[in-house]
Amino acid sequence: MTDSFQTLADGPEPRALGSGLWLRRAIVALLALVVALALLDVFGQRATTSSAASDGATLQLRAPSTVRGGLLFQSRIVITARHTLDHPRLILDRGWFEGMQVNSITPQPVGQDLRDGDRVVLSFSSLDAGATLTVWLQFQVDPTNIGRRAYGVELDDAEQPVAHVSRKLTVLP
Amino acid sequence: MDLVLRTAFVFLLILVITRSVGRRELSSMEPLDLILLVVMGDLIQQGVTQSDNSLTGTTVVLATLAVLIVATTYLSFRFQRLRPLLEGEPIVLIADGELRRHALRRQRITVDEVIAEARQAQIGSLDDVRYAVLETSGKISFVTRSG
Repeated sequence: MTDSFQTLADGPEPRALGSGLWLRRAIVALLALVVALALLDVFGQRATTSSAASDGATLQLRAPSTVRGGLLFQSRIVITARHTLDHPRLILDRGWFEGMQVNSITPQPVGQDLRDGDRVVLSFSSLDAGATLTVWLQFQVDPTNIGRRAYGVELDDAEQPVAHVSRKLTVLP
Repeated sequence: MDLVLRTAFVFLLILVITRSVGRRELSSMEPLDLILLVVMGDLIQQGVTQSDNSLTGTTVVLATLAVLIVATTYLSFRFQRLRPLLEGEPIVLIADGELRRHALRRQRITVDEVIAEARQAQIGSLDDVRYAVLETSGKISFVTRSG
């Protein structure tokens, strides 16, 4: 029994105390980097705000730019009319609905349509000058919906473009 | 960010709970201990990952746990004063063959349990035991009179 211990004691320094130790340290450093990046919201899903303004209105979109499969998230669109918008319409890029479960859109649009084959149009009641319309959209990400998609929104008054916010949404695996 | 914060909170919560319930519960698997460990594991999962089904989320949680464990063990190694708080201290249950009933009572350990542990260590009688120590892992180690 003693011999087996002696063999170990007299043998070369185990790799766990030399190169193995540095490998372990490198892996822990890598894990710490992952944690640091997560704290910086690189892996989602802190919401950021993008805005666009024109003579007719200001358009604001608050939504996360990175999300993860299965998670619930909210996008908020705020329209502030500078002139009366008789037929305000929000035109949403394909990425808004591709591989997403739509939990709710509040307030409900008075009409829905499609433009350019894959952009969803939400129509709302007229908006007086100075008035604000806030639309909340609640989603859940399909776990298989991985990739980077257009997540922009355009504000039109009927067919007339008023403002446009360009965004991308990244869905992490 | 929320995943890291939730994981860190739950890590601290588990540390406080496991240090509070007593170390015997950590090493045994009796009905009450099963309730604590199994149910706690299930509840923790819901609280930490919630509806997150992503590999990214899993990676972030595991990385956070790994970093917290390495940090905690390093603190325990580096600062002796933190060691009793983070890991606990060994508690002598039998000294010079004498049972320390006060320590047994405080740790909610019966003499029968000590005898059972002694049997598992191939010790036939407590009369043969010189020292019995409840280790921080919850196991009881024995030093016999002959040893």
